[in-house]
Amino acid sequence: MEIIWLAVLAALLIGYFALEGFDIGVGMLLPVLSRARERAGEPGPPQRHRDRLVAAMAPFVLANEIWLVAAVGTLIGAFPSLEGEVISGLYSVVVALLVSWILRDAALWFRRRMDGAAWRAFWDAVLCAASWGLALSWGVALAALVRGLPGTAFDAAGLLGGAVVAAVFAFHGRAFVAWRLAGAGETRPAARRLWLSAVVAALPVAVPLVAMAPALLDHAASPAALGVLNLIVLPVTPILVGAQVWVWRTFGPSRSAGAAAVPSFF
Amino acid sequence: MTDLARLQFAVTGSLHFLFVVLTLGLAPLVAIMQTRHVISGKPVFARMTRFWGRIYLINYALGVLTGLVMEFQFGLSWSGLTHYAGDVFGAPLAIETLVAFFLESTFLGLWIFGWNRLPKGLHLACIWLVALTAYLSAFWIMVANSFLQHPVGVADRGDHLALTDFPALLSNSSLVMAFPHVIGAGLFAGSFLIIGASAYHLFRRTPEQEFFRRSLRTGVVWALVGTNIAVGFGYAQFGAIDGTQPGKFNGAVPGMALGNMILIGQLVHLIVLFLLLPLLFRDLLARARWLHPVLMIMTPLPFAAAILGWLAREVGRQPWLVYGKLTVADAMSPGLTEGMVLLSLIAFAGVLALLAVVDILLIARAVHQGPKVDDLGAPGPAEPSPAPVLAL
Repeated sequence: MEIIWLAVLAALLIGYFALEGFDIGVGMLLPVLSRARERAGEPGPPQRHRDRLVAAMAPFVLANEIWLVAAVGTLIGAFPSLEGEVISGLYSVVVALLVSWILRDAALWFRRRMDGAAWRAFWDAVLCAASWGLALSWGVALAALVRGLPGTAFDAAGLLGGAVVAAVFAFHGRAFVAWRLAGAGETRPAARRLWLSAVVAALPVAVPLVAMAPALLDHAASPAALGVLNLIVLPVTPILVGAQVWVWRTFGPSRSAGAAAVPSFF
Repeated sequence: MTDLARLQFAVTGSLHFLFVVLTLGLAPLVAIMQTRHVISGKPVFARMTRFWGRIYLINYALGVLTGLVMEFQFGLSWSGLTHYAGDVFGAPLAIETLVAFFLESTFLGLWIFGWNRLPKGLHLACIWLVALTAYLSAFWIMVANSFLQHPVGVADRGDHLALTDFPALLSNSSLVMAFPHVIGAGLFAGSFLIIGASAYHLFRRTPEQEFFRRSLRTGVVWALVGTNIAVGFGYAQFGAIDGTQPGKFNGAVPGMALGNMILIGQLVHLIVLFLLLPLLFRDLLARARWLHPVLMIMTPLPFAAAILGWLAREVGRQPWLVYGKLTVADAMSPGLTEGMVLLSLIAFAGVLALLAVVDILLIARAVHQGPKVDDLGAPGPAEPSPAPVLAL
């Protein structure tokens, strides 16, 4: 029974990296991608390019970031005695990750709530910086997990982890934008590249998962508690998957010409 | 150090509840407005859905941001809780995040960005699913919280609690009256925001008189429902609390909080029942301009009551984290230093408080601007042509 919940946790974390990875990547590359669009001869000021890039990822963010909330919930419910150890063991990394996450989301929710160039440019800068913060803290956290929670997480190995995660998220974000804003006829190759970049983005979290699997299995909740989770969560899994599929079917590039129409709510 | 960690939880928890209580109230009201539009086809209901939906979303943002910190805080500062009671306490939290909030967030994204893209019926279904899953979330969080108030369904195994009877968690006497109480408090807050904002536009004689007359009516009707539920299920809790947590409200803070919450609830309930509701006759309330400032001033009352109620319930549990079994001090994560907790307190409380202030100002601004701004579900200009190749 522990194996099922280990698989659920792994699926949620891998899903988070493969999905939310591109949102974080787009945020990181916001200035770079907007300049690239300008150079490619797209009409409009830089703000318009940034709006389009954010509009491209906007319909996916809420459905993507929730995978991490669910993963931590699974950790609390199915592996309770390990949850506190891991999260408090990574105290300062988790604080950095959460503050980055909060600021990234706040930037998305707030950037269009007032008119004025300065307001939106400010939140776009926050969006970019906080996305970097998220990627780097994830890298530091994963490097610490692989090494069994060392005393200081912010050392050379941690920074190397940060660089790796930042690189794969940026790669994934670029592939996503190319797919979502692809012209007619180019969506197929763009979709193939997006699948590839999703696998690359998920790799960094797969390593510590394998390293931690024995410890996780040792710290599983009691059969009674897992039985409750089996009874209530497993039957609704098709609905969870169905809702996610619905998002992708609704907001794919092929559905309409204005796939990432501006104005969007984010 | 325990005090710092408690302060951090109290600040983030109060902020969370402040916004979540409005989310719980506005979600079903927006769903009802959209339903009326789909059934009647009247444009005014579409505009109401977009305007109040926009305010609901601005508010929703802070509910999520504070909620993220809440979820991680159990592991950050209170790992003793998951060590001792994780077997029991973890299940409802896992179900809340995995099922309820996972679906709420996914459907909310579909609702926000699916406007003019999804078929009308499916788009309407999205907001109802959002409202339903928001209530489910509240239910499972209250299951977890009620376990802390009154730990049932468990066997004491010395160093930890073992789950023996899950259904007992769902029929916990601390839960059955408190959950509807929270739902009533949500409707109370949502309807009073609508009443206050409508009164503001009616008082200032903005061009949207018809829009806000209708909104005011909706607000008053649901204020009656909300206050009835909140007050009724509020008093209904005393019997159970006397049995499970005797003397809960004897302390200075819980006593003060409880007294003032009852004062607000009782007073507003009477005002709604005997003044606002009768004045709906022939739209007297919408025309009684002298009353509108009073309605505006009343807007914060349900929020104050919600925070007071939360204080009474949680401070009244002290010094226990799991009542009678685990103290707050014993639940602290081992190895934390004063500096770490202080740093995270400043980071979370500072960032969230700042964002909360910005959010409240944005809500006030959205109310002030009225329905003329509609970046939610606006048809939008015709898109020129699909973007050409992205050269990188």
